[in-house]
Amino acid sequence: MEKIIEIRGLKKAFGKTQALSDVSFDVSKGEIVGFIGPNGSGKSTTIRILLGLIKADEGRASIFGQDVWDEAVDIHKRVAYVPGDVSLWPNLTGGEVIDLFLSMRGQKVDKQRKEELIKKFEFNPTKKCRSYSTGNRQKVALIAAFAADADVYIFDEPTAGLDPLQERIFQEQAREVQQRGASVLLSSHILSEVEQLCDTVAIIRQGEIVEAGSMNELRHLTRTQIVMKTNEKVPSLEEQDFAHDVSREKGEIIFQLDSDKMPEFLHFIAPYHVTKLESAPPKLEDLFMRHYESTKGGV
Amino acid sequence: MAQAFMQTARLFRFSIKKDWGKISLWLLGSAFFIFGGLFEIVQLFGGDPAERETLALVFQNPGMIALFGRALGEQNFTNGAIFTQVMTIMTFILTGIMSILLVVRNTRSEEEDGILELIQAQPVGRVAHTAAAILLLVTTNILVLIISVVILMALKDSSMMLEGVLLTGTIYATSGIFFGAVTLVTAQLSTNARGAMMLAFGVLGVSYIIRIIGDVSLSFLSWFSPMGLLYNTEPFVKNDWYPVFISLGTSLLLIALALFLKQKRDMGSGLLPDKEGERHASAVLKTPVGFALNLIKTPLIVWTVALIILGVTYGSVIGDLDSLLEGNEILNQIIAAEEGVSISQQFLAMILGVLAFISSIPALQFLYRLRTEEVKGRLNNVFAGTHSRYVILGTFFLLSVCVALVLQLLASLAFGGAAVAMDFNVEFIDVLLAAMAYVPAVYILIGMGTLFLGWLPKLTAIVWVYLVFIFINLYFGELFNFPDWLRNLSAFQYVPEIPVEEWSWPVALSLTGAALAFSAIGFIGYRKRDID
Repeated sequence: MEKIIEIRGLKKAFGKTQALSDVSFDVSKGEIVGFIGPNGSGKSTTIRILLGLIKADEGRASIFGQDVWDEAVDIHKRVAYVPGDVSLWPNLTGGEVIDLFLSMRGQKVDKQRKEELIKKFEFNPTKKCRSYSTGNRQKVALIAAFAADADVYIFDEPTAGLDPLQERIFQEQAREVQQRGASVLLSSHILSEVEQLCDTVAIIRQGEIVEAGSMNELRHLTRTQIVMKTNEKVPSLEEQDFAHDVSREKGEIIFQLDSDKMPEFLHFIAPYHVTKLESAPPKLEDLFMRHYESTKGGV
Repeated sequence: MAQAFMQTARLFRFSIKKDWGKISLWLLGSAFFIFGGLFEIVQLFGGDPAERETLALVFQNPGMIALFGRALGEQNFTNGAIFTQVMTIMTFILTGIMSILLVVRNTRSEEEDGILELIQAQPVGRVAHTAAAILLLVTTNILVLIISVVILMALKDSSMMLEGVLLTGTIYATSGIFFGAVTLVTAQLSTNARGAMMLAFGVLGVSYIIRIIGDVSLSFLSWFSPMGLLYNTEPFVKNDWYPVFISLGTSLLLIALALFLKQKRDMGSGLLPDKEGERHASAVLKTPVGFALNLIKTPLIVWTVALIILGVTYGSVIGDLDSLLEGNEILNQIIAAEEGVSISQQFLAMILGVLAFISSIPALQFLYRLRTEEVKGRLNNVFAGTHSRYVILGTFFLLSVCVALVLQLLASLAFGGAAVAMDFNVEFIDVLLAAMAYVPAVYILIGMGTLFLGWLPKLTAIVWVYLVFIFINLYFGELFNFPDWLRNLSAFQYVPEIPVEEWSWPVALSLTGAALAFSAIGFIGYRKRDID
């Protein structure tokens, strides 16, 4: 697949703090990539470098094959961006600001598309920005972004101020632009949102990408939770390499199974007369927590 | 490089749209300021050469030179020369402040707020936003130029020829552009709007002080102050244009430096390091008074210093004024002096009235800080806490009452001290009494402010309008023969003019009583009303 965003070995320090120490990942055409990590892990720094707002100390980042710092103006003609914390001019109305952002792209404002989005997000564009709540200010940026006919959408925690209904509208719109062939980079710490939307994720910790790949690939790296009942006792389960955190309660056995060891497990368990077997797929949260718990204290 | 300026024109048009309100207010203010100064000099004092000579003597006083600028054209003292000496530096400060605020508002403030991030994510050149602010700065100052030329031509005096008029307008605009250019650089240095503003005001203050030293003693120094430099053009006296070019050239270099830094640096960063803040709130900060004081700390210091300087300046001038004007009949007539009392003693009450007027600005400002906090939504946290509304309003009210008293006291001490030191013929205690006589009148303003806070919080600005009326009445009421009913609307009108008049308990007590009544009603309203 054609790579739209390419990031290789980004490093960035602010004074003595090393914000990014090694960030590399790609976003392909028509892909929604989730970019996850806790506060202060370097998500926004990476995005600001991608937007040419700050300059990387080392490494290379390009969008459409163009350097993000040198050719920022050109790139931005085809990129739409929504930050997590939107602030606007207090004495202008939301509608005016949307039009301003759209007109800066050098495109004719698609009135119909704009009105459609305003209706979907249940937004009142005639009020002055000073009276908008956080969520409403965010809607201004979201409507301006989705109304633009961009090839890349970059979102930095875009739904922080939205209610669950509006969040769903956001997800709908993100899928719509994806189907049109646009690429989306979605930074978030709402893991359920990323799980629903994204095909691929990149996990960042202390300025370093610790995991990147498709959701399916990543699931293999993690563990599945198994709840089972057997007629026979299973005394040796604890000794198996693939089983972790085994607990026995009310005749049920609950444990974590290495996801790629499913065949070995089924083979092992066959003789014990399984009467109940539930397996819960690994959640992104488990995956995420595993990376963070393993190196606690450093964050 | 052309890419760096991409869409500057669009951002410039947009900045006019969002800023025109504030800019028109500044331009209107400047127009009034220049018109007022000109009117006073040309129409009120300019008729008779003998009067002008007297004025010339007044303006050779070191205090006046320090305040306004070097005495000009002592040989042939014309209206033009008087206008230049009195108005030039003051207008420099005015256009300087206007330009500093304009540049910070349109550059670092928007960067700090995160608005620039949204703009810069559009196909917009890296310095376009700053370039748009530069265009706005230059346009605004050219408007200042045009306005001042129009006013000067309209009220033209025979001593004010076209070249001098054009030069006057040009140096006003140049001063604005210069301090704007300085601010463009400080906006690159500091990471926040406040820091950028403070640095720029620092440059403004230092260049004023260097000019004072230059004009009073070491004359070469005035060339090193941006204000002194432009003052050396001496419109209507020498009409030298080349300082304008030096100043514009320097501004151009500063602008180039600012653009270079903007192009290179990361968004949100500055060249100066940020200071690390406190980890914990101190015990004082946790009390309502400590909290409120902390909010107004910096402006309080600035106002205190400014009022003390002003007090000393007035104090050192008033003694000279007396010895210079003694026996000068023409000026005695102008001031409508009473027989047997020295002119400067009659001036005393008026000067203390002006000081009281000025100290009521921060008093009202600090009271209204409560309203600002409310509008910004920060008060919700406070109300959700354990302090009642009475305590919260009471804290700001008491603070305002104390500020009014203490500032007036300090200003009058500075004034009286300087006056006595300059052998001015007045009892120190009289100065203090004259000053304190105004305090109850200032309390009327605070009372009205509290009343509006309690009942009509959206209309709090009316008290500011009232304050402006008080000022106009103080300065021009006598001159323009305002009708009595109008003059009596000003709370300051009732204050006895000590030492010419006697201290009056009935006046002091009734003003304070009225102020208390206003405040009490305000407190009741504040208790009952919705919080925005």
